[in-house]
Amino acid sequence: MSLQKPMMRGLLAKRLRFHLPIAFGIAITVALSYKFGVTEPRKKAYANFYKQYDAVKEFNAMREAGVFESVRPSGK
Amino acid sequence: MMAHPSQLGFQDAASPVMEELLHFHDHTLMIVFLISTLVLYIIVAMVVTKLTDKLILDSQEIEIIWTLLPAIILILIALPSLRILYLMDEINDPHLTIKAMGHQWYWSYEYTDYEDLGFDSYMIPTQDLTPGQFRLLETDHRMVIPVESPVRILVSADDVLHSWAVPCLGIKMDAVPGRLNQTAFITSRPGVFYGQCSEICGANHSFMPIVVEAVPLEHFENWSSMMLEDT
Repeated sequence: MSLQKPMMRGLLAKRLRFHLPIAFGIAITVALSYKFGVTEPRKKAYANFYKQYDAVKEFNAMREAGVFESVRPSGK
Repeated sequence: MMAHPSQLGFQDAASPVMEELLHFHDHTLMIVFLISTLVLYIIVAMVVTKLTDKLILDSQEIEIIWTLLPAIILILIALPSLRILYLMDEINDPHLTIKAMGHQWYWSYEYTDYEDLGFDSYMIPTQDLTPGQFRLLETDHRMVIPVESPVRILVSADDVLHSWAVPCLGIKMDAVPGRLNQTAFITSRPGVFYGQCSEICGANHSFMPIVVEAVPLEHFENWSSMMLEDT
């Protein structure tokens, strides 16, 4: 009865071959999720906000709401 | 523009520079999450392993990798950072120069380009607030500027160190007695923007806020004429 010789070398390499792709895969997935979940939507949100932004209309709305102190609502 | 309760991130940007800073922060935080996730995985893997190696020999390959990779990551962070740094340093022919002087414990603003306009800006005490006003943020006189115009602010102090800061415009500039610090900005949209003194200056350091009001040019001119008549 002879036992099979156990694997005695390359244990670290085997472990690295298993774990490193998973580690990098998860890390890159997290980074890409942040990029496409937060960064790009934020850039688009700012671009879209200013694409249709009418400064005069917004100013008048704020003025009538009494937000400013240097400019009173137009009725007063 | 001010912080809302339990806010974690930056306030919405109201100047082009602050928008750039927001995007740069997103870029850098993405890299931080990438590195942190990788390191966390490796730590957990090392803690649970049954493998041990008494002799770690000749690890040139990994040494090269974990020198080059961080260097590349640092370059990827440094390039946009330096770009914004130089962008912030550009003084783009300001239409208006205002001096903001820090005192214990209020700010004073001087508009001396054309006439001699100066006024103090004290915090409105909590008991004097009207409904809708923000506690510890409102002032009796606001610093009014024309919207979408480049403005230069010269910041200094009368007594001790203060710091003139408005987060949503991406501005913070120390007010040092005997020194004139210069910063410039453009507001992207009209509105009211709040900030607070950002350098410890005594008992009422938390009670000397800054309020910037950006209005169209003709309203700014009416306001400054009215202020001159009052003084």
